[in-house]
Amino acid sequence: MELQDVYYDKSDYVETASGNKVCRRTVLCGSQNIILQGKVIVQAEAIIRGDLANVRTGRYCIISKEAVIRPPYKKFSKGVAFFPLNMGDHVYIGEKSVVSAAVIGNYVYIGKNCVIGRRCELKDCCVIEDNTILSPETVVPPFSRYGGSPGVQVGNLPEVQADIMVDYTRSYYQHFQPHKNPL
Amino acid sequence: MSDIKMSRNSIKVMPGALVCEESKLRGDITIGKDCIVHPMATIIAEAAPIIIGENCLIEEQASIIYRVPFDKVEDKDNIPPLKIGSFNVFEVGCVVEAASIGNNNVFEAKCFVGNKVTVTNGCTIGAGCHLTEEQELKENIIIYGSNCQMREGLSKPMPQYSQMDTLMKILPNYHHIRKPSVKGK
Repeated sequence: MELQDVYYDKSDYVETASGNKVCRRTVLCGSQNIILQGKVIVQAEAIIRGDLANVRTGRYCIISKEAVIRPPYKKFSKGVAFFPLNMGDHVYIGEKSVVSAAVIGNYVYIGKNCVIGRRCELKDCCVIEDNTILSPETVVPPFSRYGGSPGVQVGNLPEVQADIMVDYTRSYYQHFQPHKNPL
Repeated sequence: MSDIKMSRNSIKVMPGALVCEESKLRGDITIGKDCIVHPMATIIAEAAPIIIGENCLIEEQASIIYRVPFDKVEDKDNIPPLKIGSFNVFEVGCVVEAASIGNNNVFEAKCFVGNKVTVTNGCTIGAGCHLTEEQELKENIIIYGSNCQMREGLSKPMPQYSQMDTLMKILPNYHHIRKPSVKGK
């Protein structure tokens, strides 16, 4: 199925040389610590907390409206340290989700309104359904589908999941176009 | 931001508190000693002033809203200020409209606490839990899961001293900080 075009206001977005499309109304804290690998879309009012630790995304990541990307912290006997957050390629993060994972693999889909607790590990090719609450330090295995509160495995995914996510994020990027007739 | 809106605001920041300028503060708000308010946190004192105690941690997208209490709609001029105790943690995206909040409570990510709820001390409201009915949470109550199950904890949650120490060091490097408006002794 072909995705519908999503139009954005050209004056509202910045497009970088590597093809990242970042809304001006996002909050990128500590932008020197945020690495967007290319062809990444960051939509309005998303928050990326690069001030706490490095945040690194792969190619073709989509960070939807009002999502929060927040590096996790870990307690030690000598205090707290924030850990970098690494994201693979072709990752989709839905609206209003809070992501505090340590590692996000490739081809991961995170639905709307999710809470990914601190230091979770999302392996390659997993799907987190809408409104899921993953408790801290959960490890989501590859090709699994998680849902509920607290999040548990609710199903498996077919082997083509990687291709589905590649198609989905690529076509999302291609269909994310500026308005043809700006007002 | 219009000037009219700004002039109505009266924000007092006690010395030692770290309040990012990008936070949205509206109304009459007092922020206690050693509190941390992250950027994009929202505190709205609509009905009456909000007084926040010491060592509170308010993360981004958290909103604390004090609306006119449901039983006082008739008597709008006599609303007591909302006092929030010490050592409370408001995590990312929580919405708290509670009528009163004690000490040592944790409001986890994306929880919602309605304006008929009274929160005492040491309570934990789990991630994604919605509390709307009129109730008083007893001490050390933990609310968790999709059906908002309730159980009593053995002890109150640990204060987040070490996280706050780290944040006190990191945040000033990246953000503009509101200067304390009340001078220390």
